[in-house]
Amino acid sequence: MVKIRRAYEVFFLGLFLFFLLITDLRYLKGWPVSLFLEATPLVAVSTALTTHTIYRNLVWGLVIIAITMMLGRVWCNWMCPFGIMHHFFGWIGNRRNTKQLIEVNRYKKIYAIKYYILAAMLAMAGLWIIPTAWDSPGKVWAVYHASMPKVVDGSRWIVGPDGKRQIWTMPPSAPIPKDYALLERSGADRLFGAVGQGIGSAAEEHKSKKSSLQIGLLDPIALTVRSMTTSVLPTIHMASEGIYTEPREYWMAWIVGLIFIGFLVANWWIPRFFCRAICPLGALLGIFSRFALWRIDRDPVRCTDCDLCLKSCEGASDPHKDLRKSECFVCLNCIEECPHDALTFRFLPRKASEITYPEVGRRQLLLAGIFGLYFFPMARLSGGVRKNFSRAVIRPPGSVAEDEFLRRCIKCDQCIRVCPTNVLQPSLFEAGIEGLWTPIMISKMGWCELNCTLCSQVCPTGAIREISIAEKLGVGPFEAKGPIKTGTAFYNQGRCLPWAMDTSCVVCEEVCPVSPKAIFTRNVEVTDRWGATIQLKRPFIDPVKCIGCGICEHECPVKDDPAVYVTAIGETRDKTRSLLLGLVEDHAQDLVSV
Amino acid sequence: MAEKLTRTQQKNLERLGGVNPADESFSRRQFVGQVGGYAAVAGAAVGAGLLLRDRWGMEGVKPPPPVRLKDYGIKDLPTSTPSVVVVRSSPILSTANHELDLIAREEQAFKMVKAALDEMGGVAKFIKKGDVVVIKPNVAFDKNPDLAATTQPDTLAAVVKLCLAQGARKVIVADNPINNPESCFFKTKVGDAALRAGAELMMPQDSYFEQLYVGGETITSTWRMFYRPFREATKVIGISPVKDHNLCKATVTMKNWYGLLGNPRNQFHQNIHGIISDFALMMKPTFVIADGRKLLMRNGPTGGSLNDVKQSDTIVVGTEGTAVDSWCVTRLLEKQRHEILYLDKIIARGLGKDWRPQWTREITV
Repeated sequence: MVKIRRAYEVFFLGLFLFFLLITDLRYLKGWPVSLFLEATPLVAVSTALTTHTIYRNLVWGLVIIAITMMLGRVWCNWMCPFGIMHHFFGWIGNRRNTKQLIEVNRYKKIYAIKYYILAAMLAMAGLWIIPTAWDSPGKVWAVYHASMPKVVDGSRWIVGPDGKRQIWTMPPSAPIPKDYALLERSGADRLFGAVGQGIGSAAEEHKSKKSSLQIGLLDPIALTVRSMTTSVLPTIHMASEGIYTEPREYWMAWIVGLIFIGFLVANWWIPRFFCRAICPLGALLGIFSRFALWRIDRDPVRCTDCDLCLKSCEGASDPHKDLRKSECFVCLNCIEECPHDALTFRFLPRKASEITYPEVGRRQLLLAGIFGLYFFPMARLSGGVRKNFSRAVIRPPGSVAEDEFLRRCIKCDQCIRVCPTNVLQPSLFEAGIEGLWTPIMISKMGWCELNCTLCSQVCPTGAIREISIAEKLGVGPFEAKGPIKTGTAFYNQGRCLPWAMDTSCVVCEEVCPVSPKAIFTRNVEVTDRWGATIQLKRPFIDPVKCIGCGICEHECPVKDDPAVYVTAIGETRDKTRSLLLGLVEDHAQDLVSV
Repeated sequence: MAEKLTRTQQKNLERLGGVNPADESFSRRQFVGQVGGYAAVAGAAVGAGLLLRDRWGMEGVKPPPPVRLKDYGIKDLPTSTPSVVVVRSSPILSTANHELDLIAREEQAFKMVKAALDEMGGVAKFIKKGDVVVIKPNVAFDKNPDLAATTQPDTLAAVVKLCLAQGARKVIVADNPINNPESCFFKTKVGDAALRAGAELMMPQDSYFEQLYVGGETITSTWRMFYRPFREATKVIGISPVKDHNLCKATVTMKNWYGLLGNPRNQFHQNIHGIISDFALMMKPTFVIADGRKLLMRNGPTGGSLNDVKQSDTIVVGTEGTAVDSWCVTRLLEKQRHEILYLDKIIARGLGKDWRPQWTREITV
């Protein structure tokens, strides 16, 4: 059994790394490279909380939930690439003898922390529930009343053979016309409909601006893809030159890399530290595994209490006594280690010999939830998202409006991985603390390639919704809507060569990719300092045409502080951040801004 | 147990009373409970998930359906009804008692508006018992009413009382000013006047805005609008000052509706005449009042000096905002009619009519 598991581990880690390596314009083709990100149930559950929908392929997460409910947390030791890496790191770092191994694999109280992390993150994602609860009774009442058939002076609703309703105003003693029936809508029927509709409309009204998605910080797949993308692969490239054509740089990626290495090295002190104590996905699966039909069971007669089963227990689930069902990774090592064959993986073993639920303190759980409820408003109201939004938060084309974006982005940085020009960068605090490691475009690093929508194709959650080239460029069926703009370019005339230094240049005009060009020039004749007359072309921006791709800024010879630069204003994804009146009022624009 | 047990295992068995509980198979009840529970919960989870599934990724970004404004105009007015009534009065002479002055001013406004409506068929034609009336004053700036940048509080109070006296169930006074709403309603004294007269004051809040469908020239589809007051409204009255404006030359009753738009409305300065002509499409009020008792002749729309203010003691009431504006800009603000491009635009779009002597009455009270 353990050998089969190892084969699975090799397979899934290999598949993950394969997908990671081919997330590249050259190899991408039609591969489902975001499969692992789409399969983590934590993303499905938490985005369902924040957006009330499950985006496209995130339904894979439901499959994992169904498997977990049958077999337990097999995800953690059979499929999860981060879990498998921890397993591997723990194995190479192991210098303990049997006695020490048994001690280090006993369950510890700190392993409940992951449940508190999960509670805090789900609370952040579900803050909208509070105003919805406030608002629902009134809404239900209103719907209930609106659905009341109007009865005045004994008049009644009747329904004809064609199903058409009308009011019958004759006195109650008069018979109802032939073929007609009295329409009776029971109170329960109306109440039921009203409750559903009332709560639904309240939830729909309050979902926006009242939640934040932060699970991506610690979701193992998002964390791994982010770390691989921004720090591991660029590092490997420096040694091997085999990953990219051009070496990549990612803004402040060392922080992401240190956290990644830190979690991996932590295995040497506490085996599977991340999986046992931190992982919110593990916590979610731990809760679902209470339903598991199969689990490890100990034969109390055969067991001689030697505790050898603990020697290689991955989950610290105490197989030597009553199994902690929520902690077991189903690695099956204990079965292998047991000298008396006292442990088996059994279908429906005795309920009495398991600890079904995770061991969490109610107070701590409550506190974690309250922290989550408090943290989100505190973060959102620190500026940076609404009124004082940063000009540096230039989101890739196809991104939904910022509030919606923050309710969808899991900071997996898959878009950053696939971006062919290196323009996409993990932000630090530009988009507020909520937007940590979300993608922004830094034009000094690269530019948004005109005929490219790769980031929108790989985004697992729809923070960057899938767009076509036609939609991005505003051609064909999108002619009336116009191109997607990510920002607007401006000139700093004090640094621009033809503007300030009597020198010809206009590289920006040359590279401007839209047609007609958003950068145009006006010819001027100036007298230089020696009295000679020179002709200059001075560049200007046409804000109607500019799409904010940033190639002008990238190519500007004034490298350190480019004389032409892009800021976020004028982006089409959000009406409130538009610049020109004529460009915000198309019907299609309403798809991305509310 | 078939195989031979070690001594420890024997002891375990004895401790357990000779029966190994792990040897027992699961009961039928446990099977039904656990497998049934699994099937139910897993089915529910997967089912709910599939129900929420956003196949094409567009559900989450679908905007809510836009709201629309009703036509609040009175339909059955006789054709002989004038569309513009100009009421003039003599100035109130200041006495030493400020309070008495205010009362006198409010009485004057009451008489003037009532006389105008009587000329148009009587107040009862316009306000019925049980009506919910929304009054839109212009309190865009937090200035003293004497500076004439905002609607005069006594005019507003007079109209509120007129509506309530006619049996209106509720009068809501609402505006979304440029300056801070609280200080605007406070310093223009319009908030206080409205409350004292018995109206409800509604200040803009984020949740009070909804996407309004306009489908006009400048707002081609929808825009965020201060819609909450209009949810239950049956009648709408606009009360605007008559003043100079730096960009569109005059702020009278048409420009007044600008104050119902949400942000980023400052973009409309890129096409000011277009947006004002859209208001003729967006809002069909019951009637409008141009409060020309004090005129801001220069430095509009903010004003700020009494030197810019001219006393005129005129109130213009009308069912046709375009005609009211047209009358006011030439007769009160002393501007050339051809300067006011938005009026031409409204008329060209067929959304309003210019004033004509035969549809205009001028009276004095």
